[in-house]
Amino acid sequence: MSQELTGSVPRKEKFVHRTLTGLNPAIESLLAAAVGLIIGAILMLVWGYNPWKAYVALFQGAYGDSYGWASSAASGVPLILTALTFSICVRAGMFNIGAEGQVYIGAAAAVTVGYFVLPGGLNLIVGLIFAMIGGALWSLGPAILKLTRGVNEVISTIMFNWIARFLTFYLVAFVLVDPVRGEKTISIPVSARFPVLVRGTDLSWSIFAAVAFAIVIYFVLWHTVIGYEVRAAGLNPSAARYGGIKSKRTMLLAFILGGLGAGLAGATIVMGNPPTYAIISGLPQLMNTGFDGMAVAMVGRNHPIGIIFASLFFGGLTAGGRTMQFTAGVPLEMVRVVEGVIVLTMAIPELIRVFRVMRSSWSTLMNVLKRRRSA
Amino acid sequence: MTDKDRLTKNEPTPDYYLRAEGITKVYSDGTVALKEADLEIHRGEIIGLLGENGAGKTTFTKILSGLLPPTRGRVISPRGHIRFKSPREALEFGIGMVYQHFALVGTFNAAENVALSHEHPFNRIQLTATKKKLEGLMEESGLHVPLDVPVEKLAVGEQQRVEILKVLSRDIDLLILDEPTSVLTPLEVDELFSLLRRLREEKKSIILITHKLKEVGSVTDRVVVLRHGEMVGDVPTEQASTQQLARLMVGKALDKESSAVELQDKGLPRREQERANVRSKQAVLKVDGLTVKGNTGEITVEGLSFGVYGGEIFGIAGVEGNGQSELVEALTGLRLAKSGSASINGKNILGLDPREIYMMGVAHIPEDRWRLGLVLPFTLAENAILGVQRWEEFRGPMSFLRWGKINQHVRELMDRFEIRATGPSAPAKSLSGGNQQKLIVGRELAKDPQIVVASQPTRGLDIGSAQYIRDLLVEMRGKGRAILLVSADLDEVLALSDRIAIMYEGRFMTIASPKDLDRETIGMLMGGVAVKEAA
Repeated sequence: MSQELTGSVPRKEKFVHRTLTGLNPAIESLLAAAVGLIIGAILMLVWGYNPWKAYVALFQGAYGDSYGWASSAASGVPLILTALTFSICVRAGMFNIGAEGQVYIGAAAAVTVGYFVLPGGLNLIVGLIFAMIGGALWSLGPAILKLTRGVNEVISTIMFNWIARFLTFYLVAFVLVDPVRGEKTISIPVSARFPVLVRGTDLSWSIFAAVAFAIVIYFVLWHTVIGYEVRAAGLNPSAARYGGIKSKRTMLLAFILGGLGAGLAGATIVMGNPPTYAIISGLPQLMNTGFDGMAVAMVGRNHPIGIIFASLFFGGLTAGGRTMQFTAGVPLEMVRVVEGVIVLTMAIPELIRVFRVMRSSWSTLMNVLKRRRSA
Repeated sequence: MTDKDRLTKNEPTPDYYLRAEGITKVYSDGTVALKEADLEIHRGEIIGLLGENGAGKTTFTKILSGLLPPTRGRVISPRGHIRFKSPREALEFGIGMVYQHFALVGTFNAAENVALSHEHPFNRIQLTATKKKLEGLMEESGLHVPLDVPVEKLAVGEQQRVEILKVLSRDIDLLILDEPTSVLTPLEVDELFSLLRRLREEKKSIILITHKLKEVGSVTDRVVVLRHGEMVGDVPTEQASTQQLARLMVGKALDKESSAVELQDKGLPRREQERANVRSKQAVLKVDGLTVKGNTGEITVEGLSFGVYGGEIFGIAGVEGNGQSELVEALTGLRLAKSGSASINGKNILGLDPREIYMMGVAHIPEDRWRLGLVLPFTLAENAILGVQRWEEFRGPMSFLRWGKINQHVRELMDRFEIRATGPSAPAKSLSGGNQQKLIVGRELAKDPQIVVASQPTRGLDIGSAQYIRDLLVEMRGKGRAILLVSADLDEVLALSDRIAIMYEGRFMTIASPKDLDRETIGMLMGGVAVKEAA
């Protein structure tokens, strides 16, 4: 074949369909999940719980029956969207941790549809659009600071998260407040709620919105010129400039797309999660959606399709964690430990390289043994 | 059995410094980079390690310097069998390597970079001591670099000097240099070689990786030739003829390569007949009074005026760092010009962004293919549309990319430009240097440009690829295109160009036909000595 490869085992030409681009490290994610579960088991042993019993309960609760699957998927829905927010920006070469604040703003914007009376389906769509625009507008702050003044997006998004948090506290307590029950906002009207998909669970049609958004992002990033430019600028800004790509534009685009996703996540929480359909003061349902999304993004390898599966896994941990608490008596926090270990493991990309070295030294050893035997 | 044969073939001489025996390296993807390579290194000798790209030169030296473990085989010294776990251990043993791609922290200055390489992680960095030591070392070795400037602001040649100083400042016995001259100008090469000779006097051993035959002859004591991972020759330099070495190095496909050797060694113009009589009447690129600032705000291009005509290769030669890079960047939209004008077919290009300039028919082969030319993690297909991603041909409705068409385009490029890769979805970083460069050149020439701006187009490439790319440039000239060639390889500029400009401190010392310039004159002009002054 080629001169450079002379003597090498001819590698199979991989006809990987473009949908699989970037998904090759799936094994790495599975490995990290396994390591997380194993270390979680060790910790359970240390604290005197039965890890086997706990995990059986966890996985039965998460994926044991259709109720479990539905609950896992429902917990994963907003995570798909916030994970996308993070991933799009990673692909564009930025570390945007502003999804958290954008979720708050998106949720608050969605609640405002409670003040309108619109015909049926329109109310839902207007709510979604409000939420997405709210999230996108909130992401513009850090974006503009970065593009005009060079402010690092890590710092500015953290600060915007806090601003969003207290702003939403205020809105929930004084502006959007339910005149009858002061501890929550007005409720989303029935016409603007996502219909429940599986009766008796939290899973609503919002999952289709989230998956559709993921697929749209996938197509934008890998099948359009704009997405191509975003990824090029993210991987090598100099080469992108050489290729006539304006990296300021791609960054702005990534911020806006991410904001749309996070805003939508806020909407899925308030419009798709029974029974409240409102923001409760203190924002318990919204809290950490953005941050957990970052973990999901890492496990999903910043790829929209990978993120869908990773969300199902993280949603499963949350849903199954409750069962684990009931039946095995293991505190719910153990699930957070497992999640934390997974994230830490993901942060060690060296791991797979170590495995490769081990494999090659193994084959060396076998060769040596073979030679010994033949000699 | 085979082991015995080898030992009787070349008896170890008692005074050897290091001996590699039966080194085999198989990479984890199955590539066999080295097959049973043997080498004996003595104190006080300069060994030329010759071979095309992909022959295994770098792999071999990486094994010596502790960066890679061999799959089989061993390295022994008179003190016994050695196996380094890291480059640091090799350095402590006395083996230091200067890589082709430097390992410097861009925002640190030279002294800080050297100090960084010395200290164990928990020691205090001793900057003043390092600086003093470096100043002494610079005096001793004649290698001068500014110590207080961040290295990213230094020219490539200077950065290399920092790398060499970094290694020399350790007490080393064996210095390995990977293609050190590919970034240097003739003057700098001479300086480097006299340094190497001085080190030889001090009984240090040197391995010089190269694929330039002339260098081998001028500085080495012994030449070792690698081909496809095998040591195919080990001869004293005085007994080796250039032709013989070339034959060893390239093996079968000699016809094409021998002419390349000829070109590289003698600077003979190839395809004299194609030299354009078709030169256009109007300049394609016209530059007038162009002034450009460098990174640090100093003026690097000063009031340049010239024109490049269709059907000619206009070569710019000169010591690197005299404004060539800034000139190219200004002309391709990567750097803002301070004043002056530049136009393509009468239309201004200054102040436009790179894409607008491409649309006017400019192709740019950038000097740094890893930083500018390619997005390394991208696939071949993705790299093949960099800069032309918005072409109608590749863009469907709603700006969807037509991957089918793009892949087809890539396959055509692979055929037409002899790019060897597994397919359009192979990552660019998996290609060899020569194939990466062919990909860039192919992509740029496929634009069917009016003018090709080629900056160091053959730097660091093996002879075959380099010659192939030169042929392509000549072919473009034959088609009546204008070519602006900037190269630190003087032979290349002399062989290809119809007109040559010698650049020195941001100005052209002269613009002349290569026939009217002898090497001595060129050398003086490159050093900033005007011919009249000298006479």
